[in-house]
Amino acid sequence: MEPHQSGTAAAPGGGGDGANGAVPPFERIVADYGPLISRIAMSYEADPNLREDLTQQIFLAVWQALPSYRGDSSLKTFIARVAQNRSISFVTKQVRQPRLAELPERLEADTPNPEEEAIELNEREMLMQATRRLPLPQREVIILVLEGFSYAEIANMLDIAPNALALRLSRAKTALKSMLEHK
Amino acid sequence: MSDFDLDRLGDVWRQQPDPAEMERLQRTAIAVARRARLAAILDICTAVAVAAVVVILVITNPKTQTVVMGSAAILVLLGSNIRLRKLRQVELKGLTGTTEDMLDQSIARVETTLRHHKFTLYGTPPIFLVTWLGFAATEAPRHDSILGSLRDIPGFRPILLGAAIAGAVALAIFLIVSIRRGRRELNRLNAMRDAYRQERDAAAP
Repeated sequence: MEPHQSGTAAAPGGGGDGANGAVPPFERIVADYGPLISRIAMSYEADPNLREDLTQQIFLAVWQALPSYRGDSSLKTFIARVAQNRSISFVTKQVRQPRLAELPERLEADTPNPEEEAIELNEREMLMQATRRLPLPQREVIILVLEGFSYAEIANMLDIAPNALALRLSRAKTALKSMLEHK
Repeated sequence: MSDFDLDRLGDVWRQQPDPAEMERLQRTAIAVARRARLAAILDICTAVAVAAVVVILVITNPKTQTVVMGSAAILVLLGSNIRLRKLRQVELKGLTGTTEDMLDQSIARVETTLRHHKFTLYGTPPIFLVTWLGFAATEAPRHDSILGSLRDIPGFRPILLGAAIAGAVALAIFLIVSIRRGRRELNRLNAMRDAYRQERDAAAP
């Protein structure tokens, strides 16, 4: 039932492992992709308590989905897809509209310059809030771009043509830029 | 933030959480995996326990009735297990497919649930009435039977009727609330699917 629990050694490099279908232990996956999952949860749910629920649901979804991973895409792509789909289904179940709460996540504790830290925190917070305001199809694309996926990977993940991706991304960038400039 | 550079924004976006946050994430994930493993073990233990009880009952009381009842219990358990596995497979397909597939599946799921709830809401009162009339029309049970002795308790029938009506009202309220919630969810899902279709149509040559 749990092939991913078998302790199979991960491919070196962490981020792009799993391409041959070998899945590292769940603990390693959490260490490698926990921040990705956390950011995706944060970009769909502003309320800290609901976000904690969502994060748990994503971890459970990943745990359940890992046995079906066949290595036809990178493990990071697989996990991002599961996390996005679980997040979207989570927000559709919420009766109220997503709120725009503060971000409690802390940054590096040893940042040399507190002023820089504050600026970065503010910038990241603004970016996250603006992303949450985007329509779902655009939000999905911009999150994947910000996560560092290539356009080919994103088009494959969303099963859309490159021109459709380009259009969606262009709209998302315009909307995001407008929101960030009017902060 | 007027300098709109997605690469730079990506760097801002991907800042690593601090060690305490990472530790919290690890704890959450490990707890989730542990609960899921326990649930899987519990499923197996339940199935083994039911099978063991049936086998013991059949061995100690080898009658046709025991075998039939035992087999029925195992079949019910097996059926619910198969149904649960199918549901999980469907859910898994939704999780690992495209967002639009997932939305289509979610819409189908909510529509099915709404149909079931509506059927229960409109079907329960007539079933309740027919059952009650059936009981009222049939001959009263013998006084030495369990039902007969219950009917001899003063006020039993009004209490039973009151409890049944209260239960029916509670069920109706639950169903009405669930139907409203389901309709809202369906509206949100349809709006999301429409948003995706519009994006797709806009990019069509």
